[in-house]
Amino acid sequence: MAANNSPLPAGVTKEQAFGMAETEMEYRVELFNRLSQTCFSKCVDKRHVSSGLHLYFYGSRYKESELNMGENSCIDRCVSKYWLVNGLVGQMLSAGGQRPM
Amino acid sequence: MDKNMLAGLEGMPEEDKMRMASMIDQLQIRDSLKMYNSLVERCFTDCVDDFTRKSLKKQEESCVARCAEKFLKHSMRVGMRFAELNQGAATPDN
Repeated sequence: MAANNSPLPAGVTKEQAFGMAETEMEYRVELFNRLSQTCFSKCVDKRHVSSGLHLYFYGSRYKESELNMGENSCIDRCVSKYWLVNGLVGQMLSAGGQRPM
Repeated sequence: MDKNMLAGLEGMPEEDKMRMASMIDQLQIRDSLKMYNSLVERCFTDCVDDFTRKSLKKQEESCVARCAEKFLKHSMRVGMRFAELNQGAATPDN
């Protein structure tokens, strides 16, 4: 989106620029939401057994409302990795000749 | 998604700025409602499993309360990290 009085790219009307800005913003919001949902599912309120199995029980889920240290670290790492995957996929899409985000 | 997005729009004419601000407002409202819906669905799915009565059991009520609070805290943390990554801030790989 053009800012600071810089002219719009050739052939792009102001309407189109607003449209693209809106699309970009919606994309970012959607990215955030999906990231948040995914990392919550992967990181929060899971019972880990050392063998790597995930177990959880309906009755005793959400024993507390605070996030513990393990969950916090998992969230940070999950966000970081999700972000990297987002970049990788973006690269692959633009390499394939698709419009890059 | 917050008004910090407006920081990059200083040079724009007033009417364009207002149009952007109104777009961001609408997006924010829509996003909050979406979050509300998905949070309800998630906490219902995770906490409610007994359909012998219409009313919620005490246990189900507290589960929902904790679920919602936990997700909101999680969402805030994710928001912090997301903002860091958006700005290209380098963080240790640990």
